Amino acid sequence: MADVTLPLADVGHDAHDTHVADHSADHGGAHATSLGLSNNKLGMWLFLGSECLLFGGLISVYMLYRGRLGNGPTPEQVYNVPFTSVSSFVLLMSSLTMVLAVTAAARKDLKALDTWLAVTALLGATFVGGQVFEFTEFYKHGLGFTTSLFGSSFYTLTGFHGVHVTVGIIMLMAVRRMIKKERVPGDKAEVVEIVGLYWHFVDIIWIVIFTLVYLIPA
Amino acid sequence: MTRPASAHRLRRLGTPLAIVAGTVLMAGCAKNETQSIFTPKGDNARKINDLQRFPMVAACVVGVVVFALLGFAVYKFKDRGQPIPGQGHGNSMIEIGTVVVSAVLLGVIAVPTTQTIFKLAKTNDCKTVVNVTGQRWWWEYSYPVQAGIPKPIVTSGELVIPTGQCVLLRVMSRDVIHSYWIPALNGKKDAVPGRVQPLRLEADHPGIYDGQCTEFCGLSHANMKMEAVALDAADFATWVTKQTTDAAPTAAKVDTSMDKAAADGFTTFSQCSRCHQVSGRVDADGNPVIARADQNLVPGAAPNLTHLMSRSTFAGATFDLLTPDCRANLRTASPEAFGALYLKGVTPECLNRDTLEAWLRDPVALKPMMPAATGLGQGMPNLKLSENAIDQLIAYLETLK
Amino acid sequence: MAIIERPIATPALARAGGITTPVGPKQALGVFRRPVSSNGWRSWFFTVDHKQLGIMYGVVSLTFFVVGGLEALLIRLQLAQPNGKILSADLYNQMFTMHATTMIFLFVMPMAAAFANYLVPLQIGARDVAFPRLNAFGFWCFLAGGVFLNTSWVFGGAAQGGWFMYAPNSSRLFSPGHGVDFWAFGLQVTGIASLTGAINLIVTILNMRAPGMKMMKMPIFTWMVLITQFLLLFAIPVITVALFLLSFQRTFGATFFDVRAGADPLLWQHLFWIFGHPEVYILVLPSFGIVSEVLPVFARKPLFGYPLVVFSGAAIGFVGWGVWAHHMFASGLGPVSVAVFSFSTMAIAIPTGVKIINWLMTLWGGKLRFTTAMLFATGLIFEFTIGGLSGVTHAVAPSDTQQTDTYYIVAHFHYVLFGGAVFGLFAGFYYWWPKAFGTMLNETLGKINFWLMVIGMNLTFGPMHILGLQGQPRRMYRYDTSRVGSGFFNLTFWNLVATIGSFILAVGVLFFIINIFYTYKRRQLAKAPLDPWDARSVEWMTSSPPKAHNFDVIPTITNLDEFFHRKYAADAETGELRPVATAEELMAIQEANADKNIHLPGPSYWPIILAIGLPIIGYGIIFSHILIAIGATVIFFAIFGWSMEPSVPDPSDYDPPSGNDGGGTKELATVG
Repeated sequence: MADVTLPLADVGHDAHDTHVADHSADHGGAHATSLGLSNNKLGMWLFLGSECLLFGGLISVYMLYRGRLGNGPTPEQVYNVPFTSVSSFVLLMSSLTMVLAVTAAARKDLKALDTWLAVTALLGATFVGGQVFEFTEFYKHGLGFTTSLFGSSFYTLTGFHGVHVTVGIIMLMAVRRMIKKERVPGDKAEVVEIVGLYWHFVDIIWIVIFTLVYLIPA
Repeated sequence: MTRPASAHRLRRLGTPLAIVAGTVLMAGCAKNETQSIFTPKGDNARKINDLQRFPMVAACVVGVVVFALLGFAVYKFKDRGQPIPGQGHGNSMIEIGTVVVSAVLLGVIAVPTTQTIFKLAKTNDCKTVVNVTGQRWWWEYSYPVQAGIPKPIVTSGELVIPTGQCVLLRVMSRDVIHSYWIPALNGKKDAVPGRVQPLRLEADHPGIYDGQCTEFCGLSHANMKMEAVALDAADFATWVTKQTTDAAPTAAKVDTSMDKAAADGFTTFSQCSRCHQVSGRVDADGNPVIARADQNLVPGAAPNLTHLMSRSTFAGATFDLLTPDCRANLRTASPEAFGALYLKGVTPECLNRDTLEAWLRDPVALKPMMPAATGLGQGMPNLKLSENAIDQLIAYLETLK
Repeated sequence: MAIIERPIATPALARAGGITTPVGPKQALGVFRRPVSSNGWRSWFFTVDHKQLGIMYGVVSLTFFVVGGLEALLIRLQLAQPNGKILSADLYNQMFTMHATTMIFLFVMPMAAAFANYLVPLQIGARDVAFPRLNAFGFWCFLAGGVFLNTSWVFGGAAQGGWFMYAPNSSRLFSPGHGVDFWAFGLQVTGIASLTGAINLIVTILNMRAPGMKMMKMPIFTWMVLITQFLLLFAIPVITVALFLLSFQRTFGATFFDVRAGADPLLWQHLFWIFGHPEVYILVLPSFGIVSEVLPVFARKPLFGYPLVVFSGAAIGFVGWGVWAHHMFASGLGPVSVAVFSFSTMAIAIPTGVKIINWLMTLWGGKLRFTTAMLFATGLIFEFTIGGLSGVTHAVAPSDTQQTDTYYIVAHFHYVLFGGAVFGLFAGFYYWWPKAFGTMLNETLGKINFWLMVIGMNLTFGPMHILGLQGQPRRMYRYDTSRVGSGFFNLTFWNLVATIGSFILAVGVLFFIINIFYTYKRRQLAKAPLDPWDARSVEWMTSSPPKAHNFDVIPTITNLDEFFHRKYAADAETGELRPVATAEELMAIQEANADKNIHLPGPSYWPIILAIGLPIIGYGIIFSHILIAIGATVIFFAIFGWSMEPSVPDPSDYDPPSGNDGGGTKELATVG
């Protein structure tokens, strides 16, 4: 289910479809939802819960196969831990800027929001760029997708993560543009917050991957 | 309204009774079904049978109780104009009771289950070891050198084991997952490529015990049968001696006793020996002919035919090498007479010539296989043999006693 | 067409700031206007209404039920006698693979989704699901995936590896052809449907309950749907990973299951069954919910031990994650793992047994009316008990090594899935048909339908116990005369009985289809009363079929069986229950107090377009890379259109054009 873009799309619009719902008209109360958590946010939490199992599965596959090298290179031969540490740091920093974006949205500072979203996306793009560079380096060192089980599972795991970051970048850029063009219905701060949830999740997954894949030797 | 309701009641009560009666009968008097799981013929299968009896009976009893209650409720509380019942929401005693009773019942089942699991996992008390290798769609049995077996033996179609002792199978696979199952001797064990899995077998008496591959392994899964042949210690030793000798003519030109057809068949078979090993054959230079099946096939082998005529089946136990009469004689032989009859092998009058010819004519028509799939053979192709060549080949195969 | 009330004041959720004006149609590019049709094919293709989508789920999955059923009949014909010649080995292997895949992924799961979609918002007093367009997208993904999967029949043959598709048999070397590719991608697409549906329904249930409806006052069906959707939420990503690994191996030459590269083929089994066992509960829990609704109505008693039924459902949901390896008792796990999984499998029998006793006790002391729905519900108790009990016999791991992959297992899971899941769905058809269509299914035809199905299923699957215990393995396109035996239990006879049974079963199902057409023809005469069954839960507190906005007034809930307690009250002196109001009276009160300012989000083009892009990519992966580009383009534009779509249609698009957007009028059409 590489359809991570879908909740984004819904963040954009079903937001309006539903979160203004409920029974304020006949019951007077302004209670919004049964749990007090908006539908969109709850939906994103559930989606991330599901994503945990997706990455859980991929990480398990990698952990099972990382020592099965066939005739291919070993992890030690291809990994460049200092380089990946730097790009991991970049990704971590993007979480910080994402937090800044969310707070900017909360205090309705649209200018700061705009900036921080852009910076977050830029940091994310730097990370993805680093990953592309890393993949080409690995390939030059003889680790192809089909070289060994280690190769297949490494590229699948980190590739899936890279796709998630990329989707996150698209989400950030889309939200940024939609806010600029006044196209976000309802609560802007919440939309930013929901994208933020996704972004932090992808970062946290990377911390797990970085630790298990790069730092702990097979 | 009353008529369908009473029919309804009858069925409600009738079906469970029929099922219980059926199950009891089944456990008691199944006799001719060779793969029945209620007729253990050895220690391991007996352990399982002893274990399964209680849960099955308990399940029937619980079923009868539930169906009786259900039938009673359906009968008793049918709408006959009684007032709307009270809207009570439950009864915690009944609810807790259900949980406790079912937990206790399952606990009673769990204890012997665990004991049996560990008993059946034991491997260190087995005397004979056989490597069992599954491939599409037949089994290879190889006997490594061990006490009583001075030279390695490779055979297929029939697993020959000594009676009265635990035989440890080391179950493996060359391609996909298969499953080894001789119901009368033990439960199943999957043959997983890349793994060696132990399976204990033990037969009380000499005889043939049927089995079937039970993990779906592709096209001809249904044809992947096996037979375990149990022989008493003396007969087993005779069998081993026979199997450890090479096939009689090493080269046709040095064997003048061979008839013309068999000698021609020997020559024709040089093509076959690319895949089929016949131990003892030598080539023109006097070097042993080793089947290099792996060069022609994936998965790596075709059945070893060195002592084909000592078996009663061919093509992976899919077809009978014996005529139906001879086969029936062998199967119905008393345990005492079985060994001698089996060791006689395929006599000329017992050879199931028709099926063997049909097989050589077009194997794929008899047993669906994928000889040419993706350029890598999985099964025997149609070799377009002439009738003459088929006759010669059979004449030669008949010498492989 | 969900109806959303237009907020009068600033909605609570906007408190964090931002502009609350919805995106108006004027701001949209013309091409991105929302469709407005409320009749004709457009009203179905672009709908986002949960009731319409529920019916569409139902129609499509019923069609797949027929397809899967025909496949089953061919299987049974082939096995009617030894050495059957109806199907070739290859075709037979495709047939059982597609039979299982179709029945599981394209019939039972989506049919449960049909009920959940239609009923959950009604049962919790909501006006639609949380994400209506996502709901539509889910349906179209299911349809696209199902059709894609079945087109493999004409593009060189369907998958033949069994629905469990064990590696390495599924690899290109052992399964050449495109069947497995179709299978993997098709399931991936239907998986999107399940995942989006899961998120949608969980949010709906947790967040959109009517005032006063605490979790423990939710109708039991909604509860079971909630548990099922959580199972889906966590099970689908696991099969997603497995399917990706399989596709990467087949398409790009990865080595995940290639033993020569050092892979472990059991990896697939673990991934598959970690999904596959929760899947069993995904299939059966919605039906448990349905019977738990039907039995109390026709017993005129509340569900016995409601909290325990809820908790046992949740317990099944939890323990269901810890039993997967009982599918692998013969695969060579160590004795310790086998023992542990044997225990957990026995443990899961406890909550299941609790449910059966609770249903039984619901009947106990009741006032039972045996309508067709009730017959199916009672039939479920009977058939499922058989399946559950045979299940306990293979929780005993050593016995299971004798039973697994024989017809005994086939018998077991058909009693569970046909006697459990399918009987529950049929009970649901008869019970909720008047709700959804405003007509009553014919009871005489219904009873013929029921009895033929009961007789048929027991004749089909009952003998399979015998076949399995006599050692007939599954998935064999033929069996030999030499091994059928000759006594009372000979395989030939019982195989023939099973085949005859399967045709009786098929005729039973045919009567259901006849019943649908018969009822449709007589729809004027068979008009359903407002409350035909003297029902208990909230979905009956509105018209049948419900209005587009479900309820004129969202009811405030004070009781578990709210509707029943509005209709009946205990007599102060005798304590006997007396009717105090009829459904018609309650309905009149509602209509008199109908909400103003009800708005519907408009239909949308994008869910269907987005879903169509997916199978195009699938064909592209298999046949031509250019199609991948086309599919990706379609998806890209669909997502763009989706997010750029205005949240309401332009008033001028209506015929006749509606007035200004918003305002104080009550708008029940597709506006808003």
